[in-house]
Amino acid sequence: MMRGREYPWKRRPGWWLRNRRYLAFQLRELGGVVCAVYGLILLDLLAQLPAGASAYTAFLNLWRTPPMWYLNLVLFALVLWHAISWFMLIGKAQPIQFTRRPLPWKVVFGVNVLLWLGVSGAVVYLIFGGI
Amino acid sequence: MRESVAWNPGRETVRADADEPDEVVLEPLLWSLFSLGGFITAFLFPVTLFLLFFAAPLGLWPSDPAAYSTFLARWGDPIVRLFFFVLIGGSLFHGTHRLKYILMDAGFKGPGPETFLDLILNGVAILGSLGALYYALRGWLFF
Repeated sequence: MMRGREYPWKRRPGWWLRNRRYLAFQLRELGGVVCAVYGLILLDLLAQLPAGASAYTAFLNLWRTPPMWYLNLVLFALVLWHAISWFMLIGKAQPIQFTRRPLPWKVVFGVNVLLWLGVSGAVVYLIFGGI
Repeated sequence: MRESVAWNPGRETVRADADEPDEVVLEPLLWSLFSLGGFITAFLFPVTLFLLFFAAPLGLWPSDPAAYSTFLARWGDPIVRLFFFVLIGGSLFHGTHRLKYILMDAGFKGPGPETFLDLILNGVAILGSLGALYYALRGWLFF
């Protein structure tokens, strides 16, 4: 039997720009990496705390002045997208089966968003001392 | 028969007399930390970052939750210290593991580059988590 030539399987560069779903996927992956960047920023914030009020305030103000504030806003948007798209994914990647058929992903997404709001409220009161 | 170099999962030759493969320990552990970190960052990061960086500058909060005196007062609470340790550790293990696979997709493949990525990225995650643990315990268990 004739066999065609075989090549190692390879994605084309820029494959994730081909449609909106691929782009949304890549932005979620990027959001995951941005989470680590924020982890390092928060670690730096904690390092400034023992250094005193002026060092801490200078660090915080640096992140609140343009252009850092706008950069911060873009990074924050990626973290938000990472969270929201992950909630959308849970019901598809790990279908929850309480009934004969797995729950529709939109139901799982809705439950996660409600849980997220509840957890966020708990963080406001338990970690930041309330409004 | 000629060995294929094409991507054909599940079609490798299986040999009954082959040595048993080494048990994989680190890989599932890192994927578990990645998954746990994803859960932690998705639920806890948005509200934390909003309160620290955006609530006060946008005038959406009556006081500044990140102000030095306010944050220092909250830092006395062990729950707050535990929260930031978990948040920083989770985000670092999640993000560095994701970055490793993005870089592998971009062509950083093979035993050498992957070991290099493992050392650098896991090193950042482990040292960063230890740093967060140090600040969480400093002033509480030691000075």
